[in-house]
Amino acid sequence: MLVKPKAKNARSKRFLVNREPKVVENAKTAIIVRGSSTSQVILDTLKDLYALRKPNAVNFTKKNEIHPFDDETGVEFFSRKNDCSLFAVGMHSKKRPHNLILGRTFNHQLLDMVELGVEKCVTMKATGAQSCAIGARPLMVFHGETFAQNETMIMLKNILLDFFRGEEADRVSLKGLEYAITVTAGPPGANGEPGLVFLRTYTVELKKSGVRQPRVELAPMGPALDLRIRRVRFPNDDMWKQAIRVPREIKETKVKNISRDGLGDKYGRVHVGKQDISKLQTRKVKALRQRLDNKPSKRQKTE
Amino acid sequence: MDVSGILEEHKSRLRPVQVDRLIPVDHDLGSLAGFDINMLNDAALQTDTDAREAYLQSLSREGTQLLVNELFSLPTVVDDDSVYAALPKRTTVLPREKPVPKEKEMTRWEKFAKIKGIQKRKRGAMVFDEAQGEWRPRFGFKGVNNDGQQPWLLEVPQNADQYQDQYQVRREEKKERIAKNMRRQQRNTEESAAKDVGLSPYKMRKRDLQSALVLSKGSTASMGRFDAEIKGEPRVKGLRKKRSPLVGAAGAEKSKSMDILNRVAKGDTSSTVLNVRKAQRAINNSKRAAGSSGGRDGGNKRKGSGKR
Repeated sequence: MLVKPKAKNARSKRFLVNREPKVVENAKTAIIVRGSSTSQVILDTLKDLYALRKPNAVNFTKKNEIHPFDDETGVEFFSRKNDCSLFAVGMHSKKRPHNLILGRTFNHQLLDMVELGVEKCVTMKATGAQSCAIGARPLMVFHGETFAQNETMIMLKNILLDFFRGEEADRVSLKGLEYAITVTAGPPGANGEPGLVFLRTYTVELKKSGVRQPRVELAPMGPALDLRIRRVRFPNDDMWKQAIRVPREIKETKVKNISRDGLGDKYGRVHVGKQDISKLQTRKVKALRQRLDNKPSKRQKTE
Repeated sequence: MDVSGILEEHKSRLRPVQVDRLIPVDHDLGSLAGFDINMLNDAALQTDTDAREAYLQSLSREGTQLLVNELFSLPTVVDDDSVYAALPKRTTVLPREKPVPKEKEMTRWEKFAKIKGIQKRKRGAMVFDEAQGEWRPRFGFKGVNNDGQQPWLLEVPQNADQYQDQYQVRREEKKERIAKNMRRQQRNTEESAAKDVGLSPYKMRKRDLQSALVLSKGSTASMGRFDAEIKGEPRVKGLRKKRSPLVGAAGAEKSKSMDILNRVAKGDTSSTVLNVRKAQRAINNSKRAAGSSGGRDGGNKRKGSGKR
């Protein structure tokens, strides 16, 4: 009845529990897969992608007969086996030269992916720059209005951000800002075909500027990729809805009646209960005065 | 002494951190990202030369500078000789890896306890064993509840068989209790699984049983043709035995036979050839069965079946 694997000892139980759905999830792992035929450009690209993602990545060094756009079972299988939710598949064919597919899975099922043609790749090795520390988080900058308008580009932005952002943390070492990944949307072609996307990686050097903020200087680090978008698979609405749900435990509760202004002052609005008007002190007139002994006054008697 | 010259020189060496942008740049500091939607220099991007690289680098520098400016104006924390910026929550919506964990279904006992208002009491794992003068686990390995001869004296109940081993009775009762608990556990898991699917536990069990029955039929050599018929058994059509082809697969057949021969010749006793432990167990079991039945119906058993 239950196909769930059952752990036979504590170690394997811990392993299985680690793979179960969690409120605060593990850092996403990426698999770097080679297709059945690859080019040098694609191999270089995959190698550098692996280097950038390193602690949370699995590099497949053998060829795999895998075509995610035609048949998603392959990536879903790898995703389940390796417990990973990001994949980069590289392949090369006459029809689609230097093909790079970046995508994501949700619950080991394909969520979305985008196919990119690598038109140019300058590797880390070629630039000769010192590569970043393993596990360092990059600064990411997206240039171009299409990243806010075009649906495909918005998705590409989301995937790239997910792919490179590294492990989530609530603080960052200001000395550890080692490298930056910038993505620039090039202009569309004359016939309306989508433009190139320039992905550049730079090492960041922070220099003294005389003020609190340092002066930033960049040096090319690699990979530097010129990408052209090919096929795209958008996420299924239902699945996407499931995927972006925030667990109740970490959802921020709305704080009512407290606001802050730009100067950092805190304002609170206080609810004062309903005022009791019957006890309100009005003008003291003799006629309205109640007698202490509760006897009716002379005038009331006469009426 | 005039230091203005030195100051001037020092100032000129420092470079500015300001960046001018027509539209202010959006930042998602939680994921260390900046989104710049200002117009780009299309002419520079279209050229396929070093000019493009230079433009991209200057553009990236400015974008990164703006992001770094934002990061350095965040409140900081000093820890382990390093300065950290406290990041706000991520604002970009990124999908999760797996669905939000479901709340665990309540077991029957938990439901009952809730209605009755029974509170869970914490009970220590260790118990003081007075006989041995030490603390021992309540159950499990070296636990106090699995001593073979404890207590040392047992009362024989009034109408019990005098010669019955009361220790044996105790052991069996414990086994039964464990088995009962296991059954209830199973029932709880089944019920929660059925709720996930949206079926009643009864329907779900029926469905699973039927699929198991179909599977078991296919796993005998005769495809279940001589199995005892069960009431309400599902009719399965097209259940065929898988045979290797008579002709055309000579290579496969040869390698299969050679494989067996090789293993036998090598004296390989791994589980694929002969599971010695399993065989031993089977022999022991059959011996025990023959011993206990006492030959009364042991001989008759084979008569009924005969040759089919």
